[in-house]
Amino acid sequence: MKLSLIGFVLRRVRSSLRQLLWSHLLTAGIMAMTLFVFGGFMLLETNLRKLLKSWGDQIQITAYLSNDLAAADVTGLIERVQVMPEVERVRHTGQEQAWRDFQAALGSQSGLLDGLPRAVLPASIDISLRPSHRDGPVVEQFAARLKRENGVASVEYPQEWMERLGLIVLVLEWIKWILAGVLFIATFFTVGSTIKLAILSRQDEVEIMQLIGASEELIQAPFVIEGMIQGLAGGALAIAGLGVVFGLLQAELARMGGLFAPLDELSFLNLASLGLLLGTGWLLGAVGSLVSLRRFLRTWHASSTGA
Amino acid sequence: MIQLFHVGKTYPPNYRALTGISFEIPAGEFVFLVGASGAGKSTLLKLLFREEEPSTGQILIAGKNVARLNRRGVARLRRTIGLVFQECKLLASLTALQNVALAAEVLGVSPRVSRIKAYQLLRDLGLRDRYDEMPLTLSAGERQRVAIARALINEPTLVLADEPTGNLDADTADEIMRLLVRVRDRGATVLIATHDSGIIERYGTRVISLQRGVLVDRVGEPLARDDSR
Repeated sequence: MKLSLIGFVLRRVRSSLRQLLWSHLLTAGIMAMTLFVFGGFMLLETNLRKLLKSWGDQIQITAYLSNDLAAADVTGLIERVQVMPEVERVRHTGQEQAWRDFQAALGSQSGLLDGLPRAVLPASIDISLRPSHRDGPVVEQFAARLKRENGVASVEYPQEWMERLGLIVLVLEWIKWILAGVLFIATFFTVGSTIKLAILSRQDEVEIMQLIGASEELIQAPFVIEGMIQGLAGGALAIAGLGVVFGLLQAELARMGGLFAPLDELSFLNLASLGLLLGTGWLLGAVGSLVSLRRFLRTWHASSTGA
Repeated sequence: MIQLFHVGKTYPPNYRALTGISFEIPAGEFVFLVGASGAGKSTLLKLLFREEEPSTGQILIAGKNVARLNRRGVARLRRTIGLVFQECKLLASLTALQNVALAAEVLGVSPRVSRIKAYQLLRDLGLRDRYDEMPLTLSAGERQRVAIARALINEPTLVLADEPTGNLDADTADEIMRLLVRVRDRGATVLIATHDSGIIERYGTRVISLQRGVLVDRVGEPLARDDSR
């Protein structure tokens, strides 16, 4: 496209933004609402993932040791476990320590242990896995391997919890994509309708441009650019709205403290997510305009030619 | 310049607006297309600038079959044609000067050059002091002159005018016709659809007559019979 035509397109865009300000604001507002909901879901997902990760970090595998294991064997076992690629940290708990820990856990009811031999509680090693090896199947495989080690009587890990954790993540993923699909389709048609109204209000302009030999690209370009601007404005409005809500929520959680203390450090969307929101708005605006415009021109052409 | 071979146009379900139209207009000719309302004049003009497609036959403009043009081709064709309509088709949101300059700007002419050319044309057409007015504040005759200026700014080789004097008083209509004659004198082919017999008599040039979609002679007898009708 010639430079002078680019200037022409930009002048048409500027003129349209001035003349149809309310229509453009309406479209941007609708997009902002949709992107706000989508962004809100992303925010929720971000913080839930963060929460799940912090819980996941606390997951440990406990290997209970045989009572007849010599101290040298225990040391040898710990050394073997420590060099396994999945292992981040190993902590040994002797029988005496296990007894004291259990007593402390029972608190005022520790009298229940009176008369029991201290050897009733086995020694154990608590193993923390590296973050990249905390997924359910990896943990299962690791636990099975651990069980085969000499001196390990049994292995415990929160299998059910791991499975639930995996399920929650899976459900979140699905909700995210289903919601995204529904929202985008709804927005696409809503944007298409409002853009169609804008086109109808400029029907004369389109008709005259066609009659004086303007190329299709030249006729469509201002509408598509307007759609992009509306999408970007919608994305920016959505981000601003999310920022306000996030700030209010964080202040409220900090005020409530106590029960909600773990949620004190909420995370806002990262740069990539903000870019995704703006990019989605931009794309929705551009594609919504183009599809709506082409459909409109095709229908109009068909009705005017009697085809 | 214009060649029509057995051109017909049928609208759904079965309304024949034009049947078996054949004629030729050499370059540089000034021709009236006459007929009563509903005779098919506007339909014929629309076929020429590819607003509509013929149902049968062939239309050649400068040797090109207009029915075979794709959308880009149609846009290119229209850049060589100046169109003038009874209702002027000016953009109400633009001044007279901007309306005229628009036609040059869409072809990539710089805004400055477009405006200079538009101003020169408006000045030549007697609108030196009215170029900055909005269409609604102009008289019907002034609006039509703005439309003619817009049709001429890209120096078309063909000018098609559909009832350009339809809404005008006799004096203004005469003025518009003189302008169109000047356009022909500059070398363009001019085809004017009108039902104003007075104007046709005064300008005494070639006339193509239509009656209910078929070509007729001056006394209303068909010039060619089409068996398919």
